Amino acid sequence: MHVNLKILRYNPEVDKKPHWETYNVECEPGDRVLDLLNHVKWYVEPTLTYRRSCAHGVCGSDAMLINGRNRLACKILIRDLTKDGGTITVEPIRGLKVEKDLLVDMDPFFESYRAVLPFFINDDPVPAGERLQTVEDRERFDQGTKCILCAACTTSCPIFWVNGRYLGPAAIVQAHRFIFDSRDKGTSERLNLLNQNTGVWRCRTAYNCTEACPREIPVTQLIEEVKRAIMYQQA
Amino acid sequence: MYRGREGQWAWLLHRLSGLAILAYLMLHIVSIGSMIFGEEVYMSIHEIYDLALFRLGLIAVVGGVLYHSLNGLRVILLDMTGRGIVYQRQLFYATLVLTLAGMAFTAYKVIPRVLGGY
Repeated sequence: MHVNLKILRYNPEVDKKPHWETYNVECEPGDRVLDLLNHVKWYVEPTLTYRRSCAHGVCGSDAMLINGRNRLACKILIRDLTKDGGTITVEPIRGLKVEKDLLVDMDPFFESYRAVLPFFINDDPVPAGERLQTVEDRERFDQGTKCILCAACTTSCPIFWVNGRYLGPAAIVQAHRFIFDSRDKGTSERLNLLNQNTGVWRCRTAYNCTEACPREIPVTQLIEEVKRAIMYQQA
Repeated sequence: MYRGREGQWAWLLHRLSGLAILAYLMLHIVSIGSMIFGEEVYMSIHEIYDLALFRLGLIAVVGGVLYHSLNGLRVILLDMTGRGIVYQRQLFYATLVLTLAGMAFTAYKVIPRVLGGY
């Protein structure tokens, strides 16, 4: 089959603003968008710039705005997007500065990630063995552990597009992972961070994050759980 | 345009209806407040509202207020209970249906009056 791969391209050294370029590509229905991008880069237009690493939905480097929705280019199949002769649009994820073509500056995203203290905090004396936990306690924060920090959720959030200071869904999911970990002692510190005006209260439940997550994390639900944790802590 | 689903449109409509209600409230306060300039000024403003355009606008006002208040209840359910998240789509459609029903009832009341000329 043939599809038209329509890519929003931008070269900061030449272009004043991004422009669309279309490449007619031969492919199989079972190919992924990443295969098409690779084909264009390797055989048609070597200057095409984008991130990818593992190419199997684990490293989280190739989140893109594909046919109007954030997805991983390495996970979405052509047959799920269009038919023979159809068009697939690919844009960089929104809300972060575009460096070139599909490559965006991820620094603000990782700054937000670091801001929520995404590490285990417990200053108690280290026990001789492991810090044991019940199956139920482990299950409590299981969803958050699936996050691969691809930024598909944060850059699908209409609040984040307008206000880059909002920590964003991904950072809150990471915070949730530790807040609801029974072994962790940094809960109140994190809840205070997320109670600020850049925190969870910016969430207006638009659900784009939940729809966008390639790991099927119920992102909005986790954000709401953090909101309630803050509320009940203060009550 | 980002192709978000129900949640995104619910959020956008909530914002727009909120702004529309605010604009309506301002207009309302200004026109009622015109009483301080006397009955003549007040009546001359309020006679404008007899125009068909403003009467039909009442349907939009009912739609905006109903949507904003019902979706507000939906958001409270989402924020306060875990169940709200599960049914957020159904709640959005319920909000739309009730809003449209309210608008239809208003239209049923308003349009005959506009056509009847009183």
